[in-house]
Amino acid sequence: MKNNLFSWVLLFLSSLVLLFILAPLAGMFINTGSSEFIETVKDKEVQESIWLTLWVSFAATFFFAFAAIPLAWILARKNFPLKGVVQGIIDLPVVLPHTAAGIAVLGFISRDGFLGKMADVMGLSLINNPAGIALAMAFVSVPFLINSARDGFASVPERLEKAALTLGASRSRVFFTISLPLAWRSIMTGFVMMFARGMSEFGAVVIVAYHPMIAPVLIYERFSSFGLKYARPASVLFIIVALAVFILLRLISLKKKEIQISPDAEA
Amino acid sequence: MLKLDNINKRLGSFALSGVNIDISAGEYYVLLGRSGSGKTQLLELIAGLSIPDSGEIWINNQNVTRKRIQDRRVGLVFQDYAIFPNMTVFGNIAYPLHSRKLRKQDIDLKVRNIAKEMNISNLLDRFTHNLSGGELQRVALARTLVVSPDLLLLDEPMASIDASLRDDIKNTLRQLNRKGLTVIHVTHDYREAVSLADRVGVIHNGHIIQEGPPNEVFSKPVNKFVARYAGIRNFFRVRFRRDGDSWKAFCKGGPVFRISGNSFPEEGLMILKGNDIKISNSEPSAVSDNSFRGIVREINPSEYGMEIMVDAGETFFLDLPVRDFSLLQLKELSPVWITFTKEAPIALPGTGW
Repeated sequence: MKNNLFSWVLLFLSSLVLLFILAPLAGMFINTGSSEFIETVKDKEVQESIWLTLWVSFAATFFFAFAAIPLAWILARKNFPLKGVVQGIIDLPVVLPHTAAGIAVLGFISRDGFLGKMADVMGLSLINNPAGIALAMAFVSVPFLINSARDGFASVPERLEKAALTLGASRSRVFFTISLPLAWRSIMTGFVMMFARGMSEFGAVVIVAYHPMIAPVLIYERFSSFGLKYARPASVLFIIVALAVFILLRLISLKKKEIQISPDAEA
Repeated sequence: MLKLDNINKRLGSFALSGVNIDISAGEYYVLLGRSGSGKTQLLELIAGLSIPDSGEIWINNQNVTRKRIQDRRVGLVFQDYAIFPNMTVFGNIAYPLHSRKLRKQDIDLKVRNIAKEMNISNLLDRFTHNLSGGELQRVALARTLVVSPDLLLLDEPMASIDASLRDDIKNTLRQLNRKGLTVIHVTHDYREAVSLADRVGVIHNGHIIQEGPPNEVFSKPVNKFVARYAGIRNFFRVRFRRDGDSWKAFCKGGPVFRISGNSFPEEGLMILKGNDIKISNSEPSAVSDNSFRGIVREINPSEYGMEIMVDAGETFFLDLPVRDFSLLQLKELSPVWITFTKEAPIALPGTGW
């Protein structure tokens, strides 16, 4: 009887949390009229901002992955002085206020900053440019990829890598044929998390680039200029698109896992 | 073939120290020790997965101490086989051949030949996660042997397979060794050493404490640790006293053993192998060097039949085949007589009373 009561209390509290997440979203969907929604779907400005958000976040994730994945492997496998400090630095963007992160990135990419000067030499301005947006997105979201990939590499039994070495494989071959494929699921999860986090970033991006407008900035602009009613359909559309992409990427990463543990080749 | 010259390696609070091993080509060497004794670390040093702090490793008259793993021609089979789960059996066996950049046709031929030899041709297209322990063991062996290493290192090869398959694997290992392959086999089970080894080295706390042919090591263990590894359970703290021309050992618990030998220290340790003790349910008519009356304290099934624990002032353990056990009709608290010759007890260095 006591156990039963405890289960009901757990169920009630859990439902409250779920309701807290779902109710505002559901409210937003219900309060968006179909005609307004269709109009928003056709709105060129909205379409462009969502497309911009998706490809810039994807590009940021893709390009940063080349450096972030090796870093994750080093963190999982190697011990070195100040490793804890390095790990802390990686987590820093997660705890910073995102507007502060935006200010930091802006300082870095403005014409006075290191990267800004380099870009200037090539005749490029990173401010109000998709490249600048990508950097702001990556700054706040890359810890998700690094941490998830690090956990993935750490979960690969080290003796499999050792066995590959004793079988004559070079360190790079061991990385590409053993470590990377076996940590793939965690890396993909991190990739999706970084992509999703970058896509939803507002604070850092709005400081680096108000224009061209990514979807979160566009939603904010519509809200501050025209009010809740006008911001809602764009929000709903962005959520639907983001969810679709999120689910698609998850399915791709799960499919990869199925290949790994496929019962046998005849199947 | 392999020479370890004064190898030292510190790993946290544990250290391998002053390890010297010399193994001839074609020898089957069993390294016997408990978990944590340093035997796996020693294999990893030979394979090149770690580098000794000092000392040298020679393989085929070449100093390989600082040589890359890939250049040592040493094959290592891990305790849990370390089969790559993201590849088929074929992919696993072909892995070292791809590392050597062989042509596709040559890889295919070599993989099929070794698979046939290891009796796993039917598994080549399978992924590995639902293979049995014995099958995984064969895949791991095939993967290691496909590049014909000069030296095969086996880390606890029997630990993860069913008892029923152990004889098969033992036969395979024996055949490989007969074809000339030098093998170092690491185990905690002295029976593997007895059935496979040309020579056995007992490792304890990072030291090789005894080395020699198995019958010599197990019949004349140099100390209590080796005796324990050899499955001996009868240990007695004794004081030695001369008695005319012969010697006696006084156990702390009361019994006095007649023993053979010329000189003994004041005190020490004596061991007695269980199969050197005879048991009867009536007083033996023949005169024996050592005969004690006791009672049966415990009877437990053992792999040889039944293990009998007898209290005769000191505790004695002995194994009886089931048939002999039934004939004697022993029960707990049965009065019994145990006898053994004066050559049976072995004196070891150690603290007496």
